[in-house]
Amino acid sequence: IYITSSTSPSKPKNARSKRALQKREPKVKENVKTALFIRGTSTTEIVNEALSDLCRLKKPDSITFNKKNEIRPFEDDTTLEFLCQKNDASLFVIGSNSKKRPNNLVFARMFDGQVLDMIEVGIEWAVPMSQFKTPKCTIGMKPLFIFTGSLFETSQPHKVFKNMLLDFFQGKVLKSFDLTGIEYVISVTAIGSPLPDESNVNPSRVDGKIFFRVYTINMKKSGERTPRVELEEMGPHYNFFIRRTKFAKDEVYKQATRIPKSLKPKKEKNIDVNEMGDVVGRIHVGKQDLSKLQTRKMKGLKREAREDDSDDEKPTKKLKN
Amino acid sequence: MDVSANLEAQKSKYPSINVEKPIPLQFDLGLLAAFDTNAVDEAELKKDENTYLKKCTRDNTQLLINQLFKLPVDSSQNVGLLIELPDPVTAIPREKPLPKSKPLTRWEKFAKAKGIQHRRKDRKIFDEASGEWVSRWGYKGVNDDGANDWLIPVPDNSDPYEDQFAKMREAKRERILKNEKRHRRNVEEAQTTLQPSNNKSDARTARKLELQQQIVTSKTATASYGRFDKPLDGDSKMKGKKGKFEPNVGDVKKEKETSINILNNIVGKKVEALNVRKAIARR
Repeated sequence: IYITSSTSPSKPKNARSKRALQKREPKVKENVKTALFIRGTSTTEIVNEALSDLCRLKKPDSITFNKKNEIRPFEDDTTLEFLCQKNDASLFVIGSNSKKRPNNLVFARMFDGQVLDMIEVGIEWAVPMSQFKTPKCTIGMKPLFIFTGSLFETSQPHKVFKNMLLDFFQGKVLKSFDLTGIEYVISVTAIGSPLPDESNVNPSRVDGKIFFRVYTINMKKSGERTPRVELEEMGPHYNFFIRRTKFAKDEVYKQATRIPKSLKPKKEKNIDVNEMGDVVGRIHVGKQDLSKLQTRKMKGLKREAREDDSDDEKPTKKLKN
Repeated sequence: MDVSANLEAQKSKYPSINVEKPIPLQFDLGLLAAFDTNAVDEAELKKDENTYLKKCTRDNTQLLINQLFKLPVDSSQNVGLLIELPDPVTAIPREKPLPKSKPLTRWEKFAKAKGIQHRRKDRKIFDEASGEWVSRWGYKGVNDDGANDWLIPVPDNSDPYEDQFAKMREAKRERILKNEKRHRRNVEEAQTTLQPSNNKSDARTARKLELQQQIVTSKTATASYGRFDKPLDGDSKMKGKKGKFEPNVGDVKKEKETSINILNNIVGKKVEALNVRKAIARR
């Protein structure tokens, strides 16, 4: 059994609870990650609205807690681990406000019931979805993502933040996608300059801003098959800046990004296509042990059968023993 | 007939879908994402943040959509415009570790060796007698082992006064018990493979020892306390332990030593720590 803590449910007593437990088991192809939006000890209206807007973008795979919780993600992991196990949620956004860190959001991810990595951002400027009097996207649609700025390739906190946002809002992993279902785009732009390493606690702190925008896509005629794209801001609209970070340990991250053998692309061996376009196969026949060759059963090798025999002995019929 | 001029005229009627960027974008179509590493015009950004960001995003989204529309279309469904997405490039961590493969049960091992494929059966089957689709199993299922048969023909070689209905019920109960026994055995075997150990703590050998001890205990349940019983075929006679009494007169020091050892074992003041496991087992 995967869960072994004391808060884990005991053995299921009926088929329904058994199915619920099976849903939470580790699988090769995973479920969509559920996100939990929690309020810290004290919050502001900006933080509350930010939490509800981000929750709306993540629906239906999101849970909001409306009450305030004493939760300090950077100091104590136990609350997050407990909530992860109880709600089967592996993504967290914790909103809080304090004198030292006003309008704070902490994005956290879990792996195997433990905190994988965390990014704390401060909201510098926020416009909630309600303030944009424009049509909103349908709940549960997959967004397009645009990440602008070279910082997303060079700076570690930005790389992790990009990965987190992709993880948060990607929705279900699909093999085929309906192009008419493209409704909105999440655009994240980063400007700034990485500061030199000051301490080991926050490697490569960056000075700068991250612009988080969400637009609905209107596809217009373009005279060609591919449509012309026009955007309309849907909200929410934030200007973030990165505060503290907690990166995942290398071994844990490696284990978390492991692809199971069954999903890896299978290599087809010994089948080629030659220049003529024919599909050609190779058969590898092993080396033959010539010493074990049964020459007695090969009629062609017998003396009587050989016509160009040099000696003029009369061919005698050998008796079978 | 040259229609290129007409096409150009047609195209110019509509806004263009082409976008020029100094550094081409990188795409992760599996995640519907585009990554732009071009420098952000900070002066324009400062002048009018939102307009600039919208324009930038529109261009990048146009490029992304151009790429998406180039993907092969899956026209098997008649709904919408289905495209086949490639595998995502960016590695996104899982939420739970990969599942550990469970050890195969006895049947699964046999089926694998024989090459028996598991075929899923449909829930409904067509019942010729009633002419309807009925459930194969479960509630109102057809496959109920004759539990609801209102008529059971008495077989030729059986006792005519035997209760056939009771017999059928009894047979079903036995089948269930057999299945449960097999399931328990599978679970036990799975546990032993998960924790391979050669010591006596694993379930099967522990059970075996327990049974042997119970047999020994039950043998004393006769009038002669098991001493003068004739052993059965294949069963060996119980060999008792021969007690050895030390002579009454002997080494005084040795006697003292043994007495003190006994006392220490009971009271506890000894060099060797108390073997908690043994103490509990003895209880």
